[in-house]
Amino acid sequence: MSKDMKIPETEPSNLPWLGRKLLWLDSIKNVDRIVYALFIVCAGLLAADFMYHKHSYLDIEDIPGFYAAYGFFMCAALVVCARALQVLLKRDEDYYAPKDVASEAYPEDQMNRETIND
Amino acid sequence: MTDLFPPFLLFVAGALVLPLIPNGHPRSLAAVIVPVISAYFIWMMPEGMHGQFLFMGQELTLLRVDKLSTVFGLVFCLAAFLALIYAWHVRDTIQQTTSLLYAGAAIGAVFAGDLISLFIFWEGTAIASVFLIWARRTEGAYSTGLRYLIVQVGSGVILLAGILLQYVDSGSMAFDAMTLGSPATWAIFLAFGVKCAFPLLHNWMPDAYPAATVTGTVILSAFTTKLAVYALARGFAGTEILIYIGAIMAIFPVFYAVIENDLRRVLTYSLNQQLGFMVVGIGVGTELALNGTVAHAFASILYQALLFMSIGAVLFRTGTAKASELGGLYKTMPLTMIFCVIGAASISSFPLFSGFVSKSLILSASVHEGHYIVWGILLFASAGAFIHSGIKVPFFAFFAQDSGLRPKEAPWNMLLAMGLTAFLCIAIGVYSDPLYALLPYEVVYVSYTTTHVVTQLQLLFFSALAFAMLMRTGIYPPALKSVNLDFDWSYRKLGPALIGAVRYVVRGIWGGLIGTGLRGVNWGFAALQRAHGADGLLARAWPTGQMVLWIAVLLGATLLLNYM
Repeated sequence: MSKDMKIPETEPSNLPWLGRKLLWLDSIKNVDRIVYALFIVCAGLLAADFMYHKHSYLDIEDIPGFYAAYGFFMCAALVVCARALQVLLKRDEDYYAPKDVASEAYPEDQMNRETIND
Repeated sequence: MTDLFPPFLLFVAGALVLPLIPNGHPRSLAAVIVPVISAYFIWMMPEGMHGQFLFMGQELTLLRVDKLSTVFGLVFCLAAFLALIYAWHVRDTIQQTTSLLYAGAAIGAVFAGDLISLFIFWEGTAIASVFLIWARRTEGAYSTGLRYLIVQVGSGVILLAGILLQYVDSGSMAFDAMTLGSPATWAIFLAFGVKCAFPLLHNWMPDAYPAATVTGTVILSAFTTKLAVYALARGFAGTEILIYIGAIMAIFPVFYAVIENDLRRVLTYSLNQQLGFMVVGIGVGTELALNGTVAHAFASILYQALLFMSIGAVLFRTGTAKASELGGLYKTMPLTMIFCVIGAASISSFPLFSGFVSKSLILSASVHEGHYIVWGILLFASAGAFIHSGIKVPFFAFFAQDSGLRPKEAPWNMLLAMGLTAFLCIAIGVYSDPLYALLPYEVVYVSYTTTHVVTQLQLLFFSALAFAMLMRTGIYPPALKSVNLDFDWSYRKLGPALIGAVRYVVRGIWGGLIGTGLRGVNWGFAALQRAHGADGLLARAWPTGQMVLWIAVLLGATLLLNYM
């Protein structure tokens, strides 16, 4: 489904109960709130490093915030490298063969394509 | 012939009886019961060597029961049970029977006490499992299945070669711990490595697993690779090279998982990566490390199956598992989303989820043995697993941009299977003692220490922070409709291209040689024709007068020469 296609309006009453309860995730403002909450949790975890005695095997582990920095920078590096790799390695879906699993549709008789409007 | 009933026979019997049962709920129920009974048999088997008999002068051992084989046998039964509930709706007799045969062969291999039985079951898993790919019944799946079969059977052939060499060397067919060195042990090691998806031997997996049916991928994810982990743990525990192989396995697939579009292939790369942790554990080889490997295999079978189940349910309802075409499904498939998130939290080793209590054993073991760089790599791999499977898979399928797809929630049997698996993922994470009790060695390890919980949470939340910032700045690679070149390019493109080039050159040389040769032969025939043909110089009937004239000329010339 292309991204610029008009997304059909969905009656909330058609959604399952749990789906209705989660609809607040649709608003950009609430997504921003989740990101702010993530900032706060991260700050809290960083602060926690000063509040307990760390049982470590390596000297490097004793640096406050070592795990936080390692996670952050390694993931950033990973994603940047992967993005560069994507430029190099990306090919069309039918690159290997005109009928490849990547490009052919999943057989209709093996699925049950029901929607909430059915 | 044997004092105990081998559990694999139950699966074979089940596969034989299944087609006779009416297709529908009765048959699905019968299939689900098989692993339950089998698990009971395995649980009741006393430790020791059983089922021994002579076959063509060789003593074969069908059942070597010890803690290592029992825990793998049990988790295989559990995986088969959950996957068969997930596949309750499948009415395809081929998939029903081969699923049972595949699980049975894997369980048979785990209990095999000698190399000959191991080989037979090893090939059994290869042949039974390919039908789960072919069951998709498309041209692409057919070719993929053939490639998969070639690699899998090839692994078995290498294994057989190793077994025969080993027999020549030692005169024994027993499957015990080996030391790398002789060609025999290297061949066996290589055969295990192919099935375990060592780096550069791994391509069969991202090629084949996303090509199987919705339910087939769930079943495939559990057995083949974990059987290889078991075989390595049995045969090559403490082999140092495995530490480095495992470390490469733990990071190499991460990059692919980040950019891959097909979410089932993302999960296959993450499965490959999780195997890396287990291989490191085998290489370290201490009791703590081997416990870690077995615990991680157990936990990983469950959370990987759960992740494949949830994305499989999306594929089942929408016809696609591609990140570029999904998004926003949390509204209509909220339960599937929650189960997916539980699987994601487990693979990311969040505290209270199964990965936390299993992966940490391997990380601690590598530090205890002084492999600091490997420890750093594994830590990076943990953060990477969180990025691609912990966040990317649920995010692109269920959140991200709204795709406009409004599929109905997964059917009841899929929800039930996912619910049970999710429950087990959390149960192991919260209360790990029952799992630890199944491990081959006694566990003296506490995973829930303040240090461990805080440092792990720091690692994960700051990784999430990195993801959020990269996503909001648009640096995170977008989901693109594409395939990414991996090492299989070498045999899917380079190999055929090389063969084409060789053919071109050989044809040119051959053509040139044949052309020159033919021209020579033609010229020879033409010369013969000129000389001896009907009008040829030597075949003509010459007039007598002409002859006399020429003789006179010759005589005259001779006379002249004489007088000079």
